[in-house]
Amino acid sequence: MWRVLAIAVLVAAAIIFPLIVTVNYFLHLAILALIFVMVAQGANIIQGYTGYVSIAQGAFMGIGAYSSALLSMRLGLPVWVSMVVAPIITAVAAVVAGYPSLRVKGHYFAIVTLAMNMVVFIVLVNWISLTKGEPGLPSIPSPEPINLGFVEFAFEKRRPYYYLTLTMLLAVMTIVTLIVRSRIGQVLQAIRQNEVFAEAAGIACWKYKLFAFVFSASLAGLAGALYAHYMGFINPTPFSADASLNAILAVILGGSGTLTGPLVGGALTVLLPEVLRVAEVYRLIAYGLILILAVIFLPRGLVPAIASLAARLRRSKPEGGAA
Amino acid sequence: MIIDFLQQIFNGLVVGSIYTLIALGLTTIFGILGIAHFAHGSVAMFGGYLVFFLISALGIGLLPSFVLAMMCGALLGVVLERVAYYPVRNAPPINSFIIALGLTLIIEKANLLAFGVDQVIIPTPFGRVFSVGGVTMPELRIYVLLTAAVLVGGMTLLIQRTWIGKAVRAVAQNRPAAVLMGINVNSVSMFVFALSSALGVAAGVLIGALFAVAPGVSEGLVVKGFAVLILGGLGSIPGAIVGGMVLGVTEAFSAAFISSGYKDVISFLLMIAVLLVRPEGLMRGKAQ
Repeated sequence: MWRVLAIAVLVAAAIIFPLIVTVNYFLHLAILALIFVMVAQGANIIQGYTGYVSIAQGAFMGIGAYSSALLSMRLGLPVWVSMVVAPIITAVAAVVAGYPSLRVKGHYFAIVTLAMNMVVFIVLVNWISLTKGEPGLPSIPSPEPINLGFVEFAFEKRRPYYYLTLTMLLAVMTIVTLIVRSRIGQVLQAIRQNEVFAEAAGIACWKYKLFAFVFSASLAGLAGALYAHYMGFINPTPFSADASLNAILAVILGGSGTLTGPLVGGALTVLLPEVLRVAEVYRLIAYGLILILAVIFLPRGLVPAIASLAARLRRSKPEGGAA
Repeated sequence: MIIDFLQQIFNGLVVGSIYTLIALGLTTIFGILGIAHFAHGSVAMFGGYLVFFLISALGIGLLPSFVLAMMCGALLGVVLERVAYYPVRNAPPINSFIIALGLTLIIEKANLLAFGVDQVIIPTPFGRVFSVGGVTMPELRIYVLLTAAVLVGGMTLLIQRTWIGKAVRAVAQNRPAAVLMGINVNSVSMFVFALSSALGVAAGVLIGALFAVAPGVSEGLVVKGFAVLILGGLGSIPGAIVGGMVLGVTEAFSAAFISSGYKDVISFLLMIAVLLVRPEGLMRGKAQ
């Protein structure tokens, strides 16, 4: 009951947000945060629930962004179509990358995916005839406007794009919740806890791991497509391994293996560097310090920490009243 | 053609020897503590900057600066281990990885603050170029190779022949048993961090003299270090040496004969292939 209410309040706040906050810069940050939450939610599936740390989310974001942009620009597909096709292309890339690399575990898997991210990045920089390399792709079209008769959404404006991203994120959250609660989600968590045991119980773990990897990649691909058509310009820089590391941080900061953790963590990883901009030079140092302190003192992440704090308060209150 | 071939082998060995230095640090830390010490590249770059600073601002000679920087590196390593990694020694491995990322950010930006954003080349007096049977061998590259060889040899002796080296190997093989035998695991891990960071600093100095030290170099460097680890097998010292050479030579060949833009792609694909075909590495990690 409380949970439903909390979700309703959160969604309502997200819907009202652009009506109250009219500063373009904040709206811009909010859109980026929503997009990155989507990436973080994907990372959470493979990292938080399945227990395989993939450092390739940035690359998959890049594949999604470039394929959506190129499909709409080179082939002249409607942006809506290319935004649907882009995650599928990303998923295909993830099958190719994941099938061999999921055979290894732990640090090996992390390092292989990191190398894959660097491979994708180098290809984006060097395949100049397709990607135009370092200078990037300019003038990527916005999604075609939608006219509902009484209201028209023109997506080159910030506010409509905010709502588009929010709608996509809500859809993603719903799908992720359904998956996590389903048998698949149970199996993924079983793999995280003890893969050998799960295998011994007759589960074909590789299928589930591949599903988690591909699904998380396609979320990153969708986020990348949203990013490309929002910014109108992409170059390889935002899709380097740094982006993947940020996704991992988002999951860890928020609380890995929880549904709400990536919401908090994803938003924080976008907003924290901006807030710390006051001290421009020391910003990333402070960011690094916060990370280290968070891991040392909040090893389970913010959301579980706050939840257990709240639970403790709730339990102690009636006792306090009785005494 | 054969001259080209030899030339690329020489170039590859020079670069590979630097990769080996980086990888040796990473592999010992991994062997002892199970930490993927991602900040190692930034530590190396710190060393490069520091030597440049000592030479250009304080007028200290190349060799004393080198030694001084390695000592500073050892100190930095101990501090990192105590302050950042020690508190999470019993937490899941991902936590120490996040710590490593945080450290990377901090050291990288501290370098930027302390030494500026410009790329820096460490000045050396070694300008001569030898030609051995048609293969061009700049004096500097020969010294880089020799320095790396001496350091790697010294490190191997330290690990194989001394008491503390024996303790390091014992902890790597079986931590609980080592504790039961009365080995102080804490001081072993501090020693390992000091040694590895000193080697990392040395690698940074060699890079600074051979190419340049610049912001953003460290990430590529540390991933190359991990690639060497995978080629050689995690935690294996001979593996790190062979892996470094293989990676260096592969890179030199792909840059010369295939495409310089894609040389890193080729070396990473090699790494992925090795991992899939031979997950234990090219050199099967015997007792270190």
